[in-house]
Formats: sequence, C-alpha cells, structure tokens
Amino acid sequence: MSFSSIDFPVKVDLNACIADKGCTVCIDACPLDVLVIDPATGKASMKYDECWYCLPCEKDCPTQAIRVDIPYLLR
Amino acid sequence: MELDLILRSRLADPDPVVRRIALIDLVDETDPDIAEPLLIAALQDSNKEVRIEAALALEAQDSPEAISALLKALEDSERSVREMAAQSLSANKNPELGALLIAWTEHVDADVRVAIFRALRELRLAAATVPALNALADQDARVRREAVAVLGWLKDGTTLSQLVNLAKNDPDTEVRRAAVGALGFAADDTVRVAVDLALFDIDWQVREEAATVAGKLGLDSLVASLIRALEDTYWQVRLKAARSLGRLKNKLAVASLCEVLVHPISNLRKEAALALGEIADTAALSALAVAAKDPDPDVRKAANLAVSRISLVHNKE
Amino acid sequence: MQTINNEERALTTAEIETDILVIGGGTAGPMAAIKAKQQDPSLRVLLLEKANVKRSGAISMGMDGLNNAVIPGYATPEQYVKEITVANDGIVNQKTLFAYAENSYAMIEELDSWGVKFEKDENGDYAVKKVHHMGTYVLPMPEGHDIKKVLYRKLKQTRVKITNRLVATRVLIAEDGRVAGALAFDCRSGVFTVIRAKAVILCTGAAGRLGLPASGYLFGTYENPTNAGDGYSMAYHAGAELSGIECFQINPLIKDYNGPACAYVTGPLGGYTANAQGERFIESDYWSGQMMQEFHQELAGGKGPVFLKVDHLAEETIANIETILHSNERPSRGRFHEGRGTNYRTDMIEMHISEIGLCSGHSASGVWVNEHAETTVQGLYAAGDLACVPHNYMLGAFVYGRLAGESAASYCANTELAKVDTTQVETERQRIFAPLNRKHGLSPAQVEYKLRRLVNDYLQPPKVARRMEIGLVRFEEIRNDIQQMLATNPHELMRAAEVGFILDCAEMAAKASLFRTESRWGLYHARQDYTERNDAEWSVHVQVQKDQAGTMSVFKRALEPYIVEPDDVEKAVYQQIRIQPKGTVVLSGGSHEL
Repeated sequence: MSFSSIDFPVKVDLNACIADKGCTVCIDACPLDVLVIDPATGKASMKYDECWYCLPCEKDCPTQAIRVDIPYLLR
Repeated sequence: MELDLILRSRLADPDPVVRRIALIDLVDETDPDIAEPLLIAALQDSNKEVRIEAALALEAQDSPEAISALLKALEDSERSVREMAAQSLSANKNPELGALLIAWTEHVDADVRVAIFRALRELRLAAATVPALNALADQDARVRREAVAVLGWLKDGTTLSQLVNLAKNDPDTEVRRAAVGALGFAADDTVRVAVDLALFDIDWQVREEAATVAGKLGLDSLVASLIRALEDTYWQVRLKAARSLGRLKNKLAVASLCEVLVHPISNLRKEAALALGEIADTAALSALAVAAKDPDPDVRKAANLAVSRISLVHNKE
Repeated sequence: MQTINNEERALTTAEIETDILVIGGGTAGPMAAIKAKQQDPSLRVLLLEKANVKRSGAISMGMDGLNNAVIPGYATPEQYVKEITVANDGIVNQKTLFAYAENSYAMIEELDSWGVKFEKDENGDYAVKKVHHMGTYVLPMPEGHDIKKVLYRKLKQTRVKITNRLVATRVLIAEDGRVAGALAFDCRSGVFTVIRAKAVILCTGAAGRLGLPASGYLFGTYENPTNAGDGYSMAYHAGAELSGIECFQINPLIKDYNGPACAYVTGPLGGYTANAQGERFIESDYWSGQMMQEFHQELAGGKGPVFLKVDHLAEETIANIETILHSNERPSRGRFHEGRGTNYRTDMIEMHISEIGLCSGHSASGVWVNEHAETTVQGLYAAGDLACVPHNYMLGAFVYGRLAGESAASYCANTELAKVDTTQVETERQRIFAPLNRKHGLSPAQVEYKLRRLVNDYLQPPKVARRMEIGLVRFEEIRNDIQQMLATNPHELMRAAEVGFILDCAEMAAKASLFRTESRWGLYHARQDYTERNDAEWSVHVQVQKDQAGTMSVFKRALEPYIVEPDDVEKAVYQQIRIQPKGTVVLSGGSHEL
C-alpha cells in the first residue's frame, strides 16, 4: 500500500509542456485532480498516484506533452 | 459581460504560446457571443497553432460570420489549419447557413470540395442537389463519395438514375458501396436491378451493402440472389444476406436457411436461425429442433426463440 | 497555494444562491441543467462538479454505443418494459421504465441535433443492430468520443452557470423537510461553501469505489473512481429512500485493465465471450446477474478462464474494432494490450469480473425515484447511474436528466428558498474539516484501502449472513477510524470525505443484502444461505432509509401493479433461453470463421 518511490503513470515532457506560460489544460481535465504545476519547474506534474488512465490529460494537451502509462500494478 | 482585461492582454501577447493558451481560456471563461469575434480574428494570427486553436473553437459557433471565417480558413497556407476548419464546418447544424457552403462546392482544391460536401450532408438542403449531382463526375473519388452521401441523405427520387449509374460503374469501391447504400430509400425497378447487380460486385464491401439494402427495401424479387449470397466467400456478406432474408419473410428462403443451420460458422448458424423465426414457416421446425441442440449457446438461443416465434405466429392465426 | 492555513480555511465560507442546484456534471447532470434552463430561462441554474465538467463522469472519453435505444420500427416501449421486467427478475416500477422508453427516441434525436454522432446508413437513417432477442436496441456510436464536448458546448449556449472542483457533501434540509440547498468545499482552496437552492438534483453517478479491484490499485476501478458513492450517501442523510441496494453491480471486464470488453461493440461484428477452449458458454441473453453468474462459474471452472474472442474475424473487422475500442470510452485499452503483447488477430483477451459497486445504470441499486425523477424528499431529484431505474445506461441518464431538470423547474416556479438551518451548516463544517485540524492520524488512502478490502472480504457474492454480519462489525470499526483521519491539504480532505461516502454505501449494501432472505438477480444477490428465489415473499422492493432517530432502517415497499405483463409465450421464451440444462451440451472443436 505504501511505497517509498512511486512509478507515476502520467509522464510529462518538460520541453513540450507550456504550463509555465499559463496553460492548465491537463490540470483542468483530470477527473481525479492529481496533476499540479510543479513549483520547481513551472511544468505540469503528477502529484497523487490516483490515476484512472482515462487519457483526457493526454488527448487535450495542446502540445502533446503528456504520455499516460498503465499504472504498474495493472500493467 | 466585459472581457477580462488580463485575458485581453494575453490575447495580444507577443508570444504565440501565450496567445494560444489565452484562446483556450477565452472559450472556457467567456460568453460565446463575446468570444466569437476574437476567435474569428485569431484565424488571421501569424502563428499556425493559434489559428488551429481558433478553428477548433469556432466549431461551437453557428453564426454566418463564424462560418464565413471557417470557409476562408479552408484556404489557409497550412494544411493542419485547413483540416481543423473543415472539421469544425462539419459540426454546423444550422441549415440556414448552407447557402454559404454551396458557393464553395466547385472550389479548385479537392480537399475543400470534400469538406464542403461533408458539411452539407447533415443539412439535407434541396439546394445542394444540383452541386452534388455535378460532383458525381468529380475526378477525385473522395469528392464523389461525399456527394453520394449528400444525395443519399436527401432521398430525392429524381437523383436515383445517377446514383444507380454510380453503383454500377464507378471505378472506386467505396463510391460504389456508398452509392448502393444511398439507394436504400426507393424500391423502384432501376434500384432493384442495381442492387441485384451489386450483390455480384467484385468487392465484398459492395456485396455486403447490397445485401443490407435488399432487406431494408424489402426487395422480394432479390430472394434468389440473396440465397446465393448465403454462400459468398466473405462471412460478412453471408451474415447480411441471412439477416435480410429474415426481414423479407419469404418462404422460398426456408430450405437454404435450414442448410445454413449446419454451417461450420456459428455466427451464420445463429443468424439463419433468427431469420427462420422471422419467416415463421413450420417447415423449418425440424431443422430448428436440431439447431436447438447446437454446441453453441447463441445458436441454441436463436433456435429456441425461432421455434417459439413460429408457434406464436401460428397460434395467433 | 499555501497562503492560508488550515484553520482559516475552515472558517472561510462562500455563499451561493441559486434556484436549481445540479450536483454532478457528467452525463445526467448537464442534461438536467440544460433542460431546466430551457424550460424556464429566468431560473438560476448552477451545475456543480467535483472535477471539471469538460471531462468528468463515466463518459469523459465518450461512449461507443447505445444498448437500450428504443427506436420506432425496431422496438416498442411495451416490449422494452417487458424485457427489463424479466431481466431485472420482476423487481421494477414499470412506470419509471415507461418514462424512459417513451422518451428515449426523442432524446436520441435531440442529442443528434446537438452534434452527438450515432451510426447511420447512407440515407442518414440510424443503423440499429440486432443483438437482443425480442427487441432490437443497439445503436453504435463509432465516433462517440466527442459527446462531452457536445454537452459542454450546449451548456455554454444555454448559459448554464458552472462551478468546478467543488465537492458536495450534504444536502441541506429545512425544518419542514424540504430541500434548502447543499454544502460543499473546494478541493483546491478548501473554501467551505453554502449553496442555497429551491431544488437539488443529484447526478453523482455510481458508487464505483466500493469494492477493491483485484489489482489492488484503489483507482483501477470499472467506474470512474471520482464517483465514490457521494450521491447515495447524500440522499441517505437527506432522508430519501434508496432501493435495490442489494442488487450489486458486477461486470465482465478485461482482466487487470478493468475496463469493459464491450461485447456489444464486438458482438454485432462477430466477436464473443468464450471459455479457454474458444467456445461460447453464456446461456442468458442480457447483461444481467444471470449472465454474471454463468461468467463467474466458467471463470472458476475447469474450462476457465474466460476470454473475449475476436481472433477469428476478418482483418478489416478487427481493425474496425480496434479503432472503435481504442478511441472511445476507455482508450488506454490498446496501450494495455500492447504492453502485454496481446494482439486481437492472434490472441483471445483474458477477462475477469469487476469489484462490486452500486449502479442503477447497469443493475438496479439507486436512490428511489418516480417517473418524474422525484425522490421521496420534497425538492430533491435524482438522475443517472445513482437513480433507481434499472438497466438504464447512458441514454437513461440523459432521459432522466431531462425529466429531473423539467420537474425541478416546474417545482421552482411555485417555491421560495427554504431557510437554512445554521446548526446543520456548523455540524457539517466540523465534520468535514476535522481531518485538516489534526496533527497526527491515519491517511485517508490507508483507511480507504482497508475499508474496500473488507467490502471484498464480506460483501462480494455469493453472500452469506454471518459473513455480512461480521462485515458490519468491521465497518463500525472503520467509522471510528474515520475520526482519526488526517488530511494535510484540501485534496486529501476530498479523499477523506469520500471514505465517509464509501462507508455509508458499504453499510447500506450489507444491510439491504441481509434483509432480502432469498437469492435473486443471479450473482448480484446470490445468497448461499437462501439459495432459492422466493417470489411469494420477496416480490417487493427493499428500501433503505435514515429514520427519525438517525439510524439505518430497511423495509419492504410493495411493487406497483404492472402496466404490461409479459405473456406466457414470452416468459417461456425467456425460460428456455435462460435455463438450459447443463450436460446436454454437445462439444465440438472450435469452428473456423473467416
């Protein structure tokens, strides 16, 4: 249940992500509200391991910066 | 409602990425009437990503201004912008704006013609008939295919002869298939002949469509051809033939369908059993009794249902 | 984001006043809001959503087809009502089914006019597929991925006010027993919100986080895991009756991935559910408890496990299936198969059964509503997966969304806002924010994991009294654990609130299941201690309600007289189809299909 490091399913390409310019599309789309802007990078990142692998974040991303993997436990 | 000042300045930001994000927020946060002129203006942006975003967002607008702007975007220098504009145009459901589209049906670019006819299809405008008929001779098969759809949705009997001609003679498989499908609103003699021929087309997709149309139109005179189609090399065609024989309820098909009940393909056995139930001839009962012991549960279910339906029909008589 | 501390959050209160509050912006909710506004544009309609309306709910990525479309020429409302009456083993209020069936076609046409794409033939006529045996109800939506976009567009055009990321936790009830509004908090800012409303429409979807998926991943559920049973719990605490809670939802799914295998997408194209030998085995003809019983048996039996079989189909057909399945509803399905090297062309796809849930869209468990979508509480309406209208699926959510929106709009025309009881507001503020104010405690995820593991251990069918009684004792212990939960931010506070919803649902599920001392609905309510169906005693609804003393009461509600009775021949057809003696089956080698 509790793990020291987690393989987060949502991977963000930091070069492509434009969250630092005000984009919040993926963060808005997530039904579980697990994505946030990482204060260190200004880019989108997954904060909570609560993913339904439903893909709106990936599909709606205006720069195709997101790739959602199937969570490890299900893979 | 006033437009937020910060949003307004973001829309004019020198950085195209910021302008693009601002457009997304504009659609989300602002009244559609206020957003529309700004979206139309953004179709002239120097950055193609911004133009794509604007074309996408205009999908929601059905004013003449929005449609005209999207039409102009069909001539954008960037293919991706043109494609997005075409997609947004096809979302328009307002027939009153159809006249704007019709003016573009003879555009020099085939992609534009495809987009225009695609957008016209659901509007079902009588005024689109002549342009669509003209487009049946288009060089580009994709344009002919969309024009067939426009005519098929219009269901205008005066266009039948041209559709029949295409169903028989077009070199493109998909155009012939669509044309056969488009005949599915009138059961006249020319249609009957064309559908019959299509049941023997060289491409299975056309034969499958013809089998479906024969059932939809209740073309009883095609029973013999449909029975032959029960032995088509493609199971898709055989399945649709069985389905249509059920809809036609013609007792001539009973013997052939009974033979299909022992076919090695279970989906076909199932469809044949269901069709025999619809035809409801007691002559099928003994074959159905055997099928009721089929190894496949779906076939057994279909056979049981058919037996019950036959007894239901005969009890009522 | 850390500009205010936790104590300040609990004290910050926003107030909103509206005429109609719709809670849940997935499927039924947007429709309810649009229809209320269309009926009376002068009304203030607020659509409240826990996530974001653009991509929320069960159909966030679209839907690949309707499987209960009642379209003239293919099926009649009478026929549909008869089929669902039989499919739900007689426990239905036929008036509610008729209300669905009679409005279903108009809803399809309206959705079509808004831009939702249904499969049509070359004349623009709906391409209805024959799948079920009496009527024909399947209407594919190969391009159904845009459905949320279409709804969102319509919401904007209708000028419905939307608020996202608000977690509703309780319905406010006035002194005279009618609805006064609802309480909610923002899962990002943590701001507590009091919403005054004349009418509240609950559209919060299924209780999808009840059982724990076999994968052990809390959010790897069949239903959208945002749907934690919020509305079931809110309706219960508002004093509304809930019904059929013992009729669980269990679905046949792709193993581990836990998404639907979509037999009704592949079925019309020739795919089917098969055992390890590649043979069909399902005798019943409907997605029902009987079917799940057979599925369960085959899964565990010598010919198991169970697979979706499409490898016999033509390349064009398989490519078509892939396009539909990998772009709609649960598009990550393709990625899952790819990861395991599963190819539809050469491999059968391993299947399993889902964890239990409550969902009237698929089975029958929900908030009791009549044919106007009214609950038993004045001013409270319900629609969609959480409203008890058996087997009503996505189209039923739209139809009942419409009915709820219109009923609520009519009600508001002659109603004033009720007075808010400040004691209710303060009690809820204390309850909800308590986890933020603790310095030490249990993490909500841990409590949730344990609770849902207990749900699996004690409630998963087949059911037996002693096991469920132990379950209830353990659930009480979780109720104490809830008092120890710690949340460090509003997001975790949302998860903590959800544990409370899940616990209420678990308790209702256990009590309703214990009460119905018979077996019914196949696997959904298979009792090992009462193995037979007992029509003489149990042709009734089982209702759950919070009584005056605040405790959970369970009681019978008589069936309304049927409007249409399936005749003997039809019943016989079903009996023949459903109960096929095992052992008479002649086995043969798998047939080869092109």
